This record gives sequence, structure tokens and C-alpha cells, in this order.
Amino acid sequence: MFGRSKKTGNYAYTVAKVKAKKASLLGDDAYAKMLMMSLPEISRFIGESGYQKEMAELAGRTEGIDLIEHATYRNMAEVFSSILQSTQGELRDMVSAYLTKWDIWNLKVILRGKTYGVDIESMKEDLVPAGRLDASALDKLLSLENDKEIIAEFERIKHVEIPPEVVNAYKAAGHLRNIEDYLDKLYYKRLLISIVPSSRPKRLFQEFIRREIDTINLETILILKMEGIRGEEVMEFFIDGGKQIDKKLATQLANAESISAAANDLAQLDFYEDIKEALDAETKSLKDLVAGMKKYHIRQAKKFSHLYPLSVIPILDFMIHKNIEVDNIRIIARGIESGIDREMIKGLLVI
Amino acid sequence: MAGYEIGDGLIAVGAGLAVGLAGIGAGLGEKDVGAAAVGAITEDMSLFGKCIVLIVLPETIVIFGLVIAFMLLFVGIS
Repeated sequence: MFGRSKKTGNYAYTVAKVKAKKASLLGDDAYAKMLMMSLPEISRFIGESGYQKEMAELAGRTEGIDLIEHATYRNMAEVFSSILQSTQGELRDMVSAYLTKWDIWNLKVILRGKTYGVDIESMKEDLVPAGRLDASALDKLLSLENDKEIIAEFERIKHVEIPPEVVNAYKAAGHLRNIEDYLDKLYYKRLLISIVPSSRPKRLFQEFIRREIDTINLETILILKMEGIRGEEVMEFFIDGGKQIDKKLATQLANAESISAAANDLAQLDFYEDIKEALDAETKSLKDLVAGMKKYHIRQAKKFSHLYPLSVIPILDFMIHKNIEVDNIRIIARGIESGIDREMIKGLLVI
Repeated sequence: MAGYEIGDGLIAVGAGLAVGLAGIGAGLGEKDVGAAAVGAITEDMSLFGKCIVLIVLPETIVIFGLVIAFMLLFVGIS
């Protein structure tokens, strides 16, 4: 009774910590202000908010958009790592398992960079060392010459094995699609296996992840459908383990003539209301659909974190919000640098 | 002991239990509130005052226990 936090986790401490962190995230009005600013003004603005330390550290080495992109990702990695450091017991296991997705992200960035001949410094801007691979492990991966060595080193560090047929398919096709899909599927498969639903917090975590898989699967199916891809080709991207969208429903959706024809199947889903507008034949747009799915995911995390305040969900909720904040800052900075219309940039933000 | 009846002893045990159990309950409550308060203060020092108030709230349970103990000992059971 008295030493339970060491085994089950220090929920009260970590949740209060992330709630305080969440309160300091940028609000809607901050994005509206940033849309009116120039790039140096955005740098100064975020340098005065939560990104002060990283902006000051990197200001001597980079500038402009590179500085903003590098500082935001570094800040996110440090925040996530600090959360992981403050957790204990099974809570730590859950947060750590969730953060593995950044290892997959980093491997994808490095493989893409090496494939397209990007220099190491540019690749570093997009790395988020928030997973189990720390800065030194990432430096080692970056220093390797070719993709074969990178994959072998990643397999060694992470104890994973990318099947030869996936590597061969990648080599034959000349693009990373096969490996990236395999890694995404592997991440969720391992994550779901690692959650033994023996206690209430673990059951909640499992349910949340299964809902996340649903949103990813539906997003993939609908995006491919909008591009005119159907059937088996769509199902290649399907991730097992979703809560509402099983293989049967996914196949039905994938085989439907059009999105409108799949409306009846989609109407059974919890999140149909959130994406209904984006699916409307008149206003059908990929951008709205993706934003709709992201908003649903945020709302879901928010609802779960209110329902179960002393669980892992408020921590995941914060991580999702932090990730979205960083994405929003980068979208604004990139958009303004490229001279894109501000209304269009606003439309790309998830607020 | 001369002058004391078994009922008096049971009242004293009751008073002890009232304070002791209330103390354990308050301790368990304060454990989580205190941990949460420290977590919040590490992120935002301005929350210190509010957190202190929240930390002492479970302490009221001990006061209830203490009141019951005093009533048992000094007012007695009528």
C-alpha cells in the first residue's frame, strides 16, 4: 500500500508535471500573432516562450528557418525525455514504449537522408532523440556510410529484424515505402504486445493505442481512396490491432467504389461526425480530412485524460499536444519563409 | 488497576483508533496530493501557495479524528 508507486508508477507526480507543462503551451492567439510576423520575429517570439534554452544554444550555429526547426525538435525531444526521466514503474514502461515511435521516426529520417544525399547537419535538424536511441546512438547511425549498415546497426541496437524480403523489396523499388511501412507496423505490433492489460491503467493505455491505430488506418484508406487507389494495394498499409476498424471493415472500405459509397460503413464509427464535412463530395479535400482526423485524435486524448486523470493518458495527451504545437510552429515558419498565403498556412494548422 | 473499569479502557482504545486511523487516511491522501504538488511546483513556482493549501486539505481528516478522540475521553459516552 505504501510503496505502490515504485511498482505501478508515480501517476500523481507525473500527471501534475505534464499538466503544468501543458498550461504553458502556445494558445490559439499565439498562432494568430505568429501568422502576422516575419521569420526573425517568429524566432524572437518562440525564443521568449518555452523554446528559450534551445534557441539560445543553437543561435550561434544556425539561423532563420533552420534555427527554428532544429530548436523546436530539440526542445520536444528534451521535454519528452524529461517526462520519461520523472516516471517510475509500469508508468515508465508505458511512456517508454510509446516514445519508441521516435526511434522509428529517426531511422526513417536517416534512411531518407542517406538515400537522397542530404548532409548530416540537415538530417540532425529533423531528428528527435526522445526514444531509446540517444544522441550518441543517433550520431553513430548518421556516421554510417550506406543504408545496409544503418539498418544492421538499428537492428542490433533495437533488437529488431527487418525481414530480407522487405529489404529486397525496398532495393528493387528504389524507395523507402516498404521499410517505412514495415517499421510502422512493427512499432504498433510491439507496443500492443508490450501492454499486458492486467491493470486498469494498462487497459486504458491499450484502448487509447487501439483508437490511435484506427485513426491512422482510416486516414491511410481515405487518402489512398482520394488518390484513386483501391483494394489490395490499400490493404498493404493496414495496421492490425485497431479497436473499431478490423480487417473486414477495412477491406470493405478499401474495396468501396468511392468514399461516398463507403459512407454507410463509415457512419458506424465514433469519429464519423468529425470527418463528415471533409468527406463531403462538394468540399472534399485531403487537407481537411487529415486535420479532421488529427482533431479527433486530440479530442479523444483530451476526453480520456479528463475521464481518467491519474493514468497514462494525460501524459500521452500532453505529448500529442506538444507534437502538434511543434508542427504548427514549423508549418508557420516554413510557410512564411516560402511566401505562402497566410490564410492557406492557417488552414494547415491544427488548432 | 484499581479505579478503572473495562469500559474506560475500551474508550481509550477507541480514542486511539480514531486518531490513528484518521492519521493513516490523511497520510495516504497527502501522499498523492503532495507528489502532485511537487510535480506542479517543479514546472511553475508560482503554484507554490495554491499547492500548500491543497496539501493540507487532507489534514482536516485528522482533526475530525482528534475531535472524536477528545469527545470520547472528556465528554464520554452517555
